[in-house]
Amino acid sequence: MSRTSPKHPFPEAEPPAPATSGTNPSDTGPFPAPDVRPTGRVLRVGRVLALPVHPRSVAAALLLLAGLAAAAAATLSLGRLGVPLAQLPAVLGGQGEATHLFVLERLRGPRLVVAAGTGVALGLAGALFQSVTRNPLGSPDVIGLAPGAGAGAAVAALMLPGVVPVPVGALAGAVLAIVTVYLVTGTGLRDPGRMIVAGIGVAAMASAFTHFVVSVMARDQASVLSAYVNGSLGARSWDHAATIWLAVALTLPFVLALAGPITVNEMGDELADSLGARSTATRTGAVALSVVLSAAAVSVAGPIAFLSLTAPQIARRLSAAPGPNLVLSGTVGALLLVCADLAVQHSPLGDGLPVGLFTMALGGVYLGYLLIREWRKGTL
Amino acid sequence: MSGEDARQETAPVLSAQGLTLGYGGDPVVRDLDLGIEEGEFAVIVGPNGCGKSTLLKALGRVNRPESGRVLLHGRDMRSQRPKAVARRLALLPQSPLAPEGITVRALAARGRFPHHTLLRQWTPRDETAIARALELTGLSELAGARVGALSGGQRQRAWVAMVLAQDSETLLLDEPTTYLDIAHQYDLLELFADLHRRGRTVVAVLHDLAQAARFATRLVMMDGGEVVADGAPADVVTAERVEAVFGLACDVVPDPRTGTPLVIPHERALRGERAGR
Repeated sequence: MSRTSPKHPFPEAEPPAPATSGTNPSDTGPFPAPDVRPTGRVLRVGRVLALPVHPRSVAAALLLLAGLAAAAAATLSLGRLGVPLAQLPAVLGGQGEATHLFVLERLRGPRLVVAAGTGVALGLAGALFQSVTRNPLGSPDVIGLAPGAGAGAAVAALMLPGVVPVPVGALAGAVLAIVTVYLVTGTGLRDPGRMIVAGIGVAAMASAFTHFVVSVMARDQASVLSAYVNGSLGARSWDHAATIWLAVALTLPFVLALAGPITVNEMGDELADSLGARSTATRTGAVALSVVLSAAAVSVAGPIAFLSLTAPQIARRLSAAPGPNLVLSGTVGALLLVCADLAVQHSPLGDGLPVGLFTMALGGVYLGYLLIREWRKGTL
Repeated sequence: MSGEDARQETAPVLSAQGLTLGYGGDPVVRDLDLGIEEGEFAVIVGPNGCGKSTLLKALGRVNRPESGRVLLHGRDMRSQRPKAVARRLALLPQSPLAPEGITVRALAARGRFPHHTLLRQWTPRDETAIARALELTGLSELAGARVGALSGGQRQRAWVAMVLAQDSETLLLDEPTTYLDIAHQYDLLELFADLHRRGRTVVAVLHDLAQAARFATRLVMMDGGEVVADGAPADVVTAERVEAVFGLACDVVPDPRTGTPLVIPHERALRGERAGR
């Protein structure tokens, strides 16, 4: 059966309809397909690939990548131990002074790569979640997913070292948090107001549990507590970098495959279903990917606050395009976290300051603004 | 395959067989049979809660039946791929959500989703389908306008453009005129009648009996989850039936312009139990 030749009993002489007949009298419902050029930009590779491209999003992404390169150079070269900019290319190529190589390979290099990967993961996780909940506040960090993952990571690292890998612990904590929120709201993930209230409770319980675990197991180490409660990028290794980038690389194909259905899903479940987009499967898939990405981020950097919340919103304003803006959200996330970490490393309060405190201070202001705005709109 | 084709040529566009629908509790629609023939403008009417919207959603593959099945061109919908169904059948739900900041053209373009695959998210046909959809709905001039900035009537037209861009032979419309003033209601109904004249099969749920009778080629009246009358508007809308189904004592007179039945309620027309609510 071919849908290109459906039976259409339209008489050609029809209709003398006043409003539209003047434009095309031979219209017969389904439309002819002459060879036409796209209105917008379309990336085409033969007959295999044809993807619409939003020029402003591409421009924004390139700009963000340039900013990321600049922030990365600054991260590596600023400060007492920094590699001077002039020598940076050589050092990156494996040449140069031993101290510079040490700074790159052991201190700032892995930290920078972890920051970028964590930013990508948190940005993507936020964009996925906000899109399927159709609310900027339906974000993994607002609804307690990250603190849950943090508690799981603390248990795995401190109580069961060597038994349960930290990422597995983080994932278990994140899953437990989202399941709790899902059950407590009574309406699943549909109502953002209930989700936020449930999330506050879950986040408080998870943080309390993390405090408990850390104070039992690592009584004297304030920095350890801070890493698990607030998130920190201090003393990261290439193992951490591999973990987060592997998680991003493995989930990205699925994220991109979901982009189409997620976009349609924004118009409501009924319309998505009638367009053939399987709304329930789409939402389940997006939440699962979001949980995995958040857990991976927490397992290497702790529950860094409010990046998932802000990155997709900034991305949306940059692109001025509706839809989840997935790739752009990931890029914004990377730039935000690298910049935040850069600021923390050079803050006068000393570089022991965890980056999570910094993002929480800034992101909290934004959360307050969003809460007031959504309240006024009546969506809470 | 030839037998399959022959069956599809003769089969109704949509056919509900022993359909029981509900939301977990008591069924809203019970063991219902209904066939929609190609080229019809069928309008489903009935009192609030009679199951008409629930039925329409099941016909549009949005509700999963508790029992029974819906055939699309003679084949069970659930055995077909969702996008394949969506290419032949479009549903405009009651309250779709317009994404923040979306333009009219971008909204219409989203109706092309069932024609896309993972790697081919643009086809040459998209351009013509979207352009025709905007033209038919009179929105070509407003293609770049933001949906949120439109008037209620224009906004509803933008949604109609989206389901038209879907390029399906059959349109299902769930109370498409709700919240519009009377001029915009008729404006939209004329648009649907025009689309029907151009060859689309249209199934709509409407509240207003006069509007339903005026535009429908076939009227399906439901009550308590069952079809109580089905046929030409003049045969379905009678004073006795309106009183029995809606509890509204009335006269039915021919519309002076079209001759279709027009319901004129009596003074203090409502029966006690309905008026008491």
